[in-house]
Amino acid sequence: MIQNIISMNGYGFFVWLSFAITFLACGALYYKTYKTLKKYEKDFAKELNQLSEEEKKQVLEKSKVASEFLASYNKSI
Amino acid sequence: MFNLINPSRIFYWIEKLINFINSIFFVILIIALTFALILSPPDYLQGDSVRIMYVHVPSAWIGLASFTGIALFSILNFIFKIKNLNLVSKSIAPIGLLFTCLAIITGSLWGQPTWGTWWVWDARITSMVVLLIFYILFILSHKLIEQESKANKVSNLIAIIGLINIPIIRFSVDWWNTLHQPSSIKLDGTSSIHPSMLLPLMLMLLVLLLYCALILLMKYKTEIIRIKKKNIKRI
Repeated sequence: MIQNIISMNGYGFFVWLSFAITFLACGALYYKTYKTLKKYEKDFAKELNQLSEEEKKQVLEKSKVASEFLASYNKSI
Repeated sequence: MFNLINPSRIFYWIEKLINFINSIFFVILIIALTFALILSPPDYLQGDSVRIMYVHVPSAWIGLASFTGIALFSILNFIFKIKNLNLVSKSIAPIGLLFTCLAIITGSLWGQPTWGTWWVWDARITSMVVLLIFYILFILSHKLIEQESKANKVSNLIAIIGLINIPIIRFSVDWWNTLHQPSSIKLDGTSSIHPSMLLPLMLMLLVLLLYCALILLMKYKTEIIRIKKKNIKRI
């Protein structure tokens, strides 16, 4: 049975290659997207933490996204 | 509707959705692969090579649907000037490009055992290559044009022009004599595909759609952070 699944009656090369290319390409895009997101998150958190307390308070008050981001980022690390 | 994609409201939900998709993704993937590679029957004419359909067809659908979405968002953006739609379009484009490439590559791998050739300039395949070019132009416009408002205008224009190609792809197999087979699945209920093949196809479509949602959410989140990062000093 395993032999049949691998050979696919002679079409194994085409079938397995199609699935392999699809999942490898999807995996590569996922990895790149994930890495870029983490890099931006890290840089943004670093920039926010570099602000003085007064500036930070102002930014967090004016930007809901920044405050939500900082809350979730601090939780994740 | 537009409040749903408001960055300040959606930011919290993006995280929740990413976690939810991650938790169910691999279970559905294993079920879909079991059906696609083991449980579904071979075709009476094409044999086991028909299993390529389970990655080729959903890839082509996603490639087409993504570009249609981008073009519709571009039209809405031209009319209503909603900045968030540009972020969504920008986030969808790499997904569409990936799946259009995959549709072409897996189509070529399916063509060799079925038609006896890796490539032929037939109407469906050529129009898919044109779609690929539009995706590349759309992405390049964002990469090469530094001024964001100008990049958005150019990319919106490319998407709207590219929309003309979508019905050409869809109906190319009906309008011209092509090597590519006509659609087996039709929304009007006259589908010629057997349920034993339709189920794995729909499962694979679900898996790839979940993957697309995951990438879209991560890309959208990256775009929001990029903009906020740029604006931090202004605040």
